[in-house]
Amino acid sequence: MALLAVDNLTVTFDEFTAVDSVGFTIEPGETLGVVGESGSGKSVTALSIMRLIEMGTRAKIADGRVELEMPDGSILDLLTQDEPTMRSIRGNQIAMIFQEPLTSLNPVYPVGEQIAEALRIHEGLGRKAAMARAREMFDLVRIPEADKRIGQYPHEMSGGMRQRVMIAIALCCGPRLLIADEPTTALDVTIQAQILGLIKQLQVETGTAVILITHDMGVIAEVADRVVVMNQSRVVEQGPVEQIFHSPREPYTQGLLSAVPRLGSMAGKDEPEAFHLAGSLR
Amino acid sequence: MTDFGIAIEPVETGSRGAVRMFLRNKAAVLGLVVFTLIVLVTVFGPGLYGVSAKKMVAPPFLGPGDDLGPLFGTDYLGRDILAGILTGGRTTLLVAAVTALMTMTFGLVVGSLAGYFGRWIDTLLMRFTEIFQVMPSLLFALVVIFLLGPGTRNETLAIGLTLWPGAARLTRAEFLRLREMEFVKASRAIGCGDLRIMFRTILPNAMPPLLTWTTLIVVIAILFHAGLAFLGLVDINTVSWGSMMGKNRGYAINAWWTVAFPGAAIITTGLSIALIGDGLQDAFNPKLRGR
Repeated sequence: MALLAVDNLTVTFDEFTAVDSVGFTIEPGETLGVVGESGSGKSVTALSIMRLIEMGTRAKIADGRVELEMPDGSILDLLTQDEPTMRSIRGNQIAMIFQEPLTSLNPVYPVGEQIAEALRIHEGLGRKAAMARAREMFDLVRIPEADKRIGQYPHEMSGGMRQRVMIAIALCCGPRLLIADEPTTALDVTIQAQILGLIKQLQVETGTAVILITHDMGVIAEVADRVVVMNQSRVVEQGPVEQIFHSPREPYTQGLLSAVPRLGSMAGKDEPEAFHLAGSLR
Repeated sequence: MTDFGIAIEPVETGSRGAVRMFLRNKAAVLGLVVFTLIVLVTVFGPGLYGVSAKKMVAPPFLGPGDDLGPLFGTDYLGRDILAGILTGGRTTLLVAAVTALMTMTFGLVVGSLAGYFGRWIDTLLMRFTEIFQVMPSLLFALVVIFLLGPGTRNETLAIGLTLWPGAARLTRAEFLRLREMEFVKASRAIGCGDLRIMFRTILPNAMPPLLTWTTLIVVIAILFHAGLAFLGLVDINTVSWGSMMGKNRGYAINAWWTVAFPGAAIITTGLSIALIGDGLQDAFNPKLRGR
């Protein structure tokens, strides 16, 4: 049985269908890459799984099932759960990290306290115990000088460090599924590689399944086991990462792949030139 | 900025950093010192000075420094101006403090509920707020006092009722802005409930403008109460800075001290509180700390 099975998920904003009959599954410990351009419905899918999409927006989950296997083996359809149940699942069973590490940490609290907050909610730890665990999480996500860093405010940290803190918050309650919504998009390339490496490494250490949302095929190639390609609210193609990269069936997937610059493709040329996209006009 | 092996200075966190930041603002410290003095003087002053503010102690219109007269002179009935300022300060400050507390509490509850939950709750609460906002504030306060009768408690209530919509609107605006922030989404994603998000995640971020607003409310309440007293619409048996100015206003040209000293007291108090508010705004902004 899969850890999470999304079936026929449909989300609408008034007249517009942002996610149309999307379905995929993810196994325990697996990394599923969800790739597609801006507006293809990737983030809406992720927020729908967390049941965060309908809060304060006009979005409506119109149809579908999101079945999560609980630790005791029972299966919950997240779309029919009430808010208290969802609260106990968020952060505890399914955690999420966001695109902008600059804005996804609360500016008025030291970062250590923000890790401790999740622990206090889900594990009922006292302040001291939670801070001690937060300190351990700092080591887990490889933040140097943890004792000093734990009392710092988000604005005192670099983007990469903040994303590490976000990962620490997400993983502190030992979730079985981590949804990473463009976790490296706001970071520069070297930090990107560090963060991806960290996610991969932590996945091995903790056995957490990861849904990695990105528009970057290079990121997918680096970490994903399987890939879901989305375009215009629908799943275009899905399969193991090797298959998607070596023999993509859909023209859209081929287009995405051809958008990745290749090493050596400019060899022998003096000046930069536009590269050709499959399916484009020129 | 911190990833290049540069030593990072430890930054004070929590309330100690805030205190240090406040102390760095010299104007705010001055405001705090002056305000503390004013509070001490109004609390202990009347007892120490020992002169009743309502009794005739000397001939009327004795100027400050006139032979044998009280330090700040006497008013048109021969009452001691200094005694009036000491005693009247109690009324004025009490009205201002209670008004600010009432206004901010009520405004905060209404504004945060409206801003956070939105939709019909927002519509309902904001229409309710507008009922209070569309009425001319002075007129509205007068009606309340006419209905309930004069007296410090009713005056405070009347001023509070006219001032809370501003606080509610400001709180709502802050909540509307902050609830869309990514860190609020992140709080939800770790399983925070609505109350925790409202008061632990969002509220501290809304505090700088709200604190400044509170100090402003204190100042406005002092002036408002002074205005009501000036018009003679408050309890005639209670001395306040505003009522002193109001009763002596006809003699302001010939006996300046009868209105100048209570007026100066109002201005000094208002200014000191405004300076404190400015300092608080800096102190509660973590980005300014450690600089």
